[in-house]
Amino acid sequence: MTGKHSLATYGIAFFIILTLNFFLPRMMPGNPLMAIYGDEALVAMTPALKTHLIARFALDQPLWQQFGAYIAGLFRGDLGWSYFYNAPVLKVILGSLPWTLLVVGSSLILSTMLGIILGIESGWRRGSKTDRAMLAGLMSLNGFPDFFLGLVLLIVFGVLLKLAPLSGALTPYSGLSGLALVLDVLKHMALPVAALTIAHLAGGYLLTRNTMITMLKAPFILTARAKGLSQNVIKYRHAGRNSMLPVLTMTGIWLGRVVTGALFVELVFAYPGVGQLTYQVLLARDYPVIQGVFLMVAISVLAVNFAVDLLYPKLDPRVSHAH
Amino acid sequence: MLEIRDLRVTYGNDVVLNGVDLDLADGETLAIIGESGTGKTTLGMSIMRLVEAKVQGSIRFNGEDLLFLPDTELQEIRWNRIAMLFQNVNNVLNPVHTVLNQVAEPMIEHKLRSKKEALVKAGELLTKFGLPPKRFSAYPHQLSGGEQQRVLLSMALANDPDLLILDEPLSSLDVTTREELGNLLGMINGHRAKLVITHDLDTASRLSEKLAVLYGGKIVETGLTQQVLRYPRHPYTRALIRAYPNMTTVKDLQGIKGRMMRPVSGCPFHPRCTQAIEKCSQEIPLLTQSQGRLVACHRGGIITLLSVVNLSKSFDSLKAVDSVSLHIEAGETLALVGQSGSGKTTLAKTIMGLYSPSDGMIYLEGKEVANKGRDFYKQVQMIFQNPGESLSHRLSVLELVMEPMEVQRIGTKEQRQKKAIQTIGEVELPQTEDFLNTYPHHLSGGELQRVAIARALVLNPDLLIADEPTAFLDASVGAKILKLLLNLQERRGLSMLYITHDIAAARKISDRIAVMLDGEIIEEGPSNEIVTAPKQAYTKRLLSSASALHLSCYS
Amino acid sequence: MHISLKKEIKQSHIGKAGLIILLLVIVIAVLAPLLTRYNPNQQSAASLLSPSYTHWLGTNQVGQDIWSQLLYGARTSLLVGFGVGILSLMLSILFGVSSALIGGLYDNIIMRIVDAFIVIPMIVVVILVAAYIRPDLFVLILLLAALSWQGGARVMRAQALSLKETGHVSASRTFGASLLYIAWRHIVPDLGPILLVEFIFGVRRAVFVEAGLAFLGIGDPMLVSWGMMMRDAMKFSYLNVWQWWLVPAGVALSLTIVGLTFVSHAAESVLDPRLRGEAVA
Repeated sequence: MTGKHSLATYGIAFFIILTLNFFLPRMMPGNPLMAIYGDEALVAMTPALKTHLIARFALDQPLWQQFGAYIAGLFRGDLGWSYFYNAPVLKVILGSLPWTLLVVGSSLILSTMLGIILGIESGWRRGSKTDRAMLAGLMSLNGFPDFFLGLVLLIVFGVLLKLAPLSGALTPYSGLSGLALVLDVLKHMALPVAALTIAHLAGGYLLTRNTMITMLKAPFILTARAKGLSQNVIKYRHAGRNSMLPVLTMTGIWLGRVVTGALFVELVFAYPGVGQLTYQVLLARDYPVIQGVFLMVAISVLAVNFAVDLLYPKLDPRVSHAH
Repeated sequence: MLEIRDLRVTYGNDVVLNGVDLDLADGETLAIIGESGTGKTTLGMSIMRLVEAKVQGSIRFNGEDLLFLPDTELQEIRWNRIAMLFQNVNNVLNPVHTVLNQVAEPMIEHKLRSKKEALVKAGELLTKFGLPPKRFSAYPHQLSGGEQQRVLLSMALANDPDLLILDEPLSSLDVTTREELGNLLGMINGHRAKLVITHDLDTASRLSEKLAVLYGGKIVETGLTQQVLRYPRHPYTRALIRAYPNMTTVKDLQGIKGRMMRPVSGCPFHPRCTQAIEKCSQEIPLLTQSQGRLVACHRGGIITLLSVVNLSKSFDSLKAVDSVSLHIEAGETLALVGQSGSGKTTLAKTIMGLYSPSDGMIYLEGKEVANKGRDFYKQVQMIFQNPGESLSHRLSVLELVMEPMEVQRIGTKEQRQKKAIQTIGEVELPQTEDFLNTYPHHLSGGELQRVAIARALVLNPDLLIADEPTAFLDASVGAKILKLLLNLQERRGLSMLYITHDIAAARKISDRIAVMLDGEIIEEGPSNEIVTAPKQAYTKRLLSSASALHLSCYS
Repeated sequence: MHISLKKEIKQSHIGKAGLIILLLVIVIAVLAPLLTRYNPNQQSAASLLSPSYTHWLGTNQVGQDIWSQLLYGARTSLLVGFGVGILSLMLSILFGVSSALIGGLYDNIIMRIVDAFIVIPMIVVVILVAAYIRPDLFVLILLLAALSWQGGARVMRAQALSLKETGHVSASRTFGASLLYIAWRHIVPDLGPILLVEFIFGVRRAVFVEAGLAFLGIGDPMLVSWGMMMRDAMKFSYLNVWQWWLVPAGVALSLTIVGLTFVSHAAESVLDPRLRGEAVA
């Protein structure tokens, strides 16, 4: 994985996502309306709503016209209608998205930075006791599913020590504002972020450590030592700077993992983000929202991957001047 | 300022440096030469204490032993006092920092200058060494090898060190950049001491006043660069020069027999040395004074195999050889060049004892040769102009080659036969039953000469006197015979007295040339000097009339 | 590449620990019926009992024996894990090796698709598909395999490309060997340790995803799974039942994944000796 994907890759990925989203419900037995909404919802629907939905998504038209209407809808920002919430899907998702962005963003930044620093330190001391302990420890953590880590944190800090709130993103009806509100938000997100960060630390750590070990054998490290530079300058400016690059190319891929991790962790902490929403709509079989979540998550991961690909040449001079 | 005593560097069980002594004074430039694997880079790295190995002995820098310096003080010495021009390998510069920053970095980190001043100073250095300002913010991979070398040089001098270690400073550069950087390096003398580490004799001779030759982790010879390269005293030094393609020496390239081995008891070079004696494999030779330099060799450097002092030979009133003095070193080819009738064949035959000398002395390995007995012929052999005449037509090839051993009463018949067949193989003749039973009149001229050479070699002589061995052969066959002689010299360390009228052939095969005219040696010296800068009018005449392809250009 | 894989894994402490953990889980899964008297799917006592001699880990909210569920959960995890591991490995070899050998447009198309799948978060796709088709164990294995061979195919392709240039492959081409023959006789056997590493990756991912899906409540409700146990137990985290319900299930799952991680790390250091971690300084 070099992090270099062509535009075609993104095009194909985008196409696969759309196709799945469009054809999957229509491949199910029964008429499309039933397939999209499920039979329970259908029974409860008013005839007026049914006709409105059929017209809106061209469900009585041939498949290719339905597809056209679907794509056109997407460009208008119309992801469908949630029966369960009785609101447009986009609106439902946008309501929970900020919380997920907050948690995912914080954990991604934290786990990448910590992973890089630990990887640099561990690689520098390769073969030492500290290195071995760190390697075994972080690899073990890597085995812990994020939702189990979340549950352990919840029980230890929430239930037993009562240091953190058990659920939610805010204290309900507290009427907090300003700094107090910020602190409240931080207190609620601490455990979910910690669970995700710990669970996803190992990727960055292992990659940085491996690169670091290779980098330390590079001739320019000898140059740096000969120059009489201090240990930290050699470790971070010379070896570390080079060891970071492969990690950055992986952030896009890791984002996908952290986002899916967040789906589970939010459930554990009843955190009102996209994960919690997914759980709710899965229970309620509100298929349009499931589809919408899938689309939003998949496309944002694609977008970040794409951004990393565009950014990488700016970080590694060897790539940017290759031609 | 730099004083290295008994430096030993060991990686695991691998002894890379085995007791090196070196001295370097202010402003002096010393070159360390040797092949890859002789430990020369390790030597440079040890001085900067950059080797990950066990280091013993002492490295005194201005009185302080670097090996016992705490890390913080060492950090201060690195680059401020001792800096290194690294070998320009891939990634020796950090690929993700601009070259200007990398040159400025040691000044900033050692707090010699503010960041701003350091960048200005770095720019000045880069400009001085020929990197245009628009390239300052380039990354290393965007620069050519020559430009990278300029950056490395600017970086090495950034903190104005007292000692500069240059590791292969001119290798991997194209010839014109080499020339320019060589001149730049010559400019940076001043008070600064320099240690040039290289396998490249050209670099060493260009940059250094003194030279140390490293082999197998030991210094085998050291002295003034000019003298060492002109008259090497250690067999390894000579072999190194012979193996080095250059425009100065004219002899064909020769390798060194065998390959480097570690560890070796005794002298590190003895398994490859052509004059090794038993002592060489048992005791490590020490560097001792020998003819104006230090040589580590139990035999005092390359030995003189044969010397002739004031040798004369008269036939009645004709003085064919008139008070000739010459010497031949072990493993060396001396070409004796002169027109027919100059007395060169007479001289050869006199040395061989075919004529008895009228006057003068002959010494073999320093001992006077009075009555030439069997022992003498075991060491000195001769091949003649016309092999057809020197080979009895009544003996088969095998019998011919066995004959010298029978005369010398060496071994049993089986042993002699085995040795003969082996020698026949060595002169690149077929070892088949058919061929061994062939008689000389069925052989071609080239084959006959090879049989003659095999006859001479079968006694393992130290000196081979070859009297116009190619005179009766076609050019292409003659060339093969000359190659064969060179190969035999490389493998066996044979010395040769090569007698010829043809100075063009002489320059290809000899280390030294002696020009003979009317029974006297009128000029003698290293082949390249005789060929390029002859002093005597007669030598010049020989050269101008020597074979050449007279080509002219039409445009 | 002919360093002994077995030896390498045995020599590394991490690898040894991983192997022991894995063997333990396998033994538990195989011997599950011998280690408990209860059917994990049937009510065997009152609900939410604390651990006792008869029910070592108590019972769950519908009175099923938790110890039995823990044992049988290993079966589900390993079945899904190994099933997906083998299937996706086969797909990786098929597409990776054929891409390398055939090349050209075919290679180009396969690799574009592979890249596309690599950037799409897999679990989200599984959730979407599973929400519609409610897969049973068999379909789940097929689904996960279909979505997880892509990374491996890239690695196999790279390896096969370099093997393709080796002497014995060129030699057999000069004898007129077919691509299929070359792939089978010369390329696949030489993939060696890479196969093991990719297989373990596949197993690990599948164990993880299966647990996650069960935790979300998508999947076969009749299938006893550690993920499902944790989902059930989570609802009662205000009680102290987590001690013998949630934690054993979570630890069992984590240990299985840790064991797999350790073994794959040891196997990887065969591929890249630089990572063996000997100190140079």
